[in-house]
Amino acid sequence: MDERGANIDLVFRNGLKDFEVLPPPEVWDNIHPVIKRKQRPFILIRAAALITLVISISFLTYRLSREKLPGPDNTVIALNEEAASPSISSSIDKPITFAAEGNKLLKNPSKTLAENIPDKAIEPENKMTSSPDVAYLQETKSLSMNKAKPLYEPPLASLNSSRKNTFKIKEPDEQFLPWNSTIKGTGRWSIAAMASPTYYSKFNSDNSEISKQLMASEQPLISYSGGVAFSYKINKRFSIQSGLYYSSLGQKVEGINSFGGFQKYENTKGDHNFEVLTTNGSVYTNNADVFLIATGPGERILTSYTSDVFDPEKASLQYINNTLRQFFSYVELPIVLRYKVVDKAIDINLIGGVSYNLLVNNSVYTMVDGGKYPIGTTKGLNPVSLSSSLGMGMEYNLSDNLSLNLEPTFRYYLNPFNEVTGSKIHPYSFGIFSGVSYKF
Amino acid sequence: MSEIEKIIKGCLAGNRRDQELLYRRHAAKLYAVCLQYSGNNEEARDILQEGFIKIFENLNHYKHEGSFEGWMRRITVNTALEKFRRRHSLYRVDDIDLIPEPDADPDNQDYAGLEAADLLEIIRELPPKYKVVFNLYAIEGYSHKEIGKMVNISEGTSKSNLFRARVILQRRVGSYTGIKKRIANG
Repeated sequence: MDERGANIDLVFRNGLKDFEVLPPPEVWDNIHPVIKRKQRPFILIRAAALITLVISISFLTYRLSREKLPGPDNTVIALNEEAASPSISSSIDKPITFAAEGNKLLKNPSKTLAENIPDKAIEPENKMTSSPDVAYLQETKSLSMNKAKPLYEPPLASLNSSRKNTFKIKEPDEQFLPWNSTIKGTGRWSIAAMASPTYYSKFNSDNSEISKQLMASEQPLISYSGGVAFSYKINKRFSIQSGLYYSSLGQKVEGINSFGGFQKYENTKGDHNFEVLTTNGSVYTNNADVFLIATGPGERILTSYTSDVFDPEKASLQYINNTLRQFFSYVELPIVLRYKVVDKAIDINLIGGVSYNLLVNNSVYTMVDGGKYPIGTTKGLNPVSLSSSLGMGMEYNLSDNLSLNLEPTFRYYLNPFNEVTGSKIHPYSFGIFSGVSYKF
Repeated sequence: MSEIEKIIKGCLAGNRRDQELLYRRHAAKLYAVCLQYSGNNEEARDILQEGFIKIFENLNHYKHEGSFEGWMRRITVNTALEKFRRRHSLYRVDDIDLIPEPDADPDNQDYAGLEAADLLEIIRELPPKYKVVFNLYAIEGYSHKEIGKMVNISEGTSKSNLFRARVILQRRVGSYTGIKKRIANG
């Protein structure tokens, strides 16, 4: 039996080797939506990770830059420790005046500074306290007087009036006070309005014949982008920027002849009459009056009205144009990190970041007598796409608050506009943004 | 980079065209495997569907060592076994007495003339437990010890099921061969 058993095993093993049975077509239809759905969170996770990375780097840079700063603590500590001595002096160069007393002040906080400070403990100073000095004093105190708490805050009125009873201290060197020196009296926030013409094109890593044919018939159109951006200056070099932009991208699809007046011949009740293949997906006509026919090689148009069924010239349809114009509009939410490379009369910044682009409009039309003749829309476009951007910004300061900006920016779309095509085509755009920004 | 590696890379990047290409190239062979393990076409479709979803989900774990087709086949077989284990309690294998008597002598059989479709048909008529053991042992080449672990049965039961499966198959093959000969002779 064993031998017979092995024999029957071989019959089946050899007989079924390489045997194939075509599965029903609906199996793939059930598989694809599942794997597509599972991939989507991965794209979102990648986007979230990128944004988190940008924010983390910004925060880390901010923290590091703060930790490295020798704050004005030493000055203040010295002030408190030596309050009883007639004169306080540190290694700080620029003298300013300051009215204060040490521990005694704490016991009588209700009294004015001038009243509390005994004359003998203070070296008389004939210099009038200037308002910038007071500003510095206030900032210094708020930053670093923790060791001296509770500390009496001298009323400004009495401070200004106490011409005689003042200490003489020196202002810290500016290089140790980047907060004062770099921000130059302006705020950390700024708002900018920018706009740019944009050149849109795409990279194609797909070598298939149809893909090459489609690419060859498509030409980019100059479109535009613009919006408002807010930025926050993290430190002297880094700032983070976000905002709201609107951009429009477009291309010409050549070799498609459009005719008008088809409606009277159209008897079907289908959702669309013509489907035009493009690298960004299929264009479906929604204008019942339009008839399309491809002039170039390849099957670019899917329709039941093929040339052997319907001849637009015999039917005397009105020729319109041989080019379609395909446009997409996006609202963009960018997160951008800016690094100031040069801080001179014209600042130069390196700019990099990511942007979420929400599709708000897509249209396909052709031109007739300078006007638009609607054709249809592109189907299956991703409602959200993610792009990365890299650029170099030049900033010319017109005043402390106002500046002119010029930013050549390259943008690469991380996912194709249309996933249905399984495309290896990744769009990119280039624009030179210009505008003004206001610091506050 | 070989073509299959390019397709795998495309699938990992979420490229729909490569995913479909991978499916189209291998679905027919794997569907035949599914039919071997299933009792009906609906079950075979489910196995193929679940198997391919697992293949796509686990593509990043494929180490490009050994045959990719073999790797996909193992996933498909494992999916079939999962289904089998889930339905294990529903299957009865004591229906061997219901098997019709052979109309040919199993000791003197001529297996020639049987096509793959006939063999598949014969194998699918086996009771589920015999079918699984026979497929794993005779077609996939697993040992009884391995089969025992895979199907949650003892090694002895695996041997016994294989023996019974072979008996049934020999009878059925005899029947098919006899019928075919009679048809051929008019």
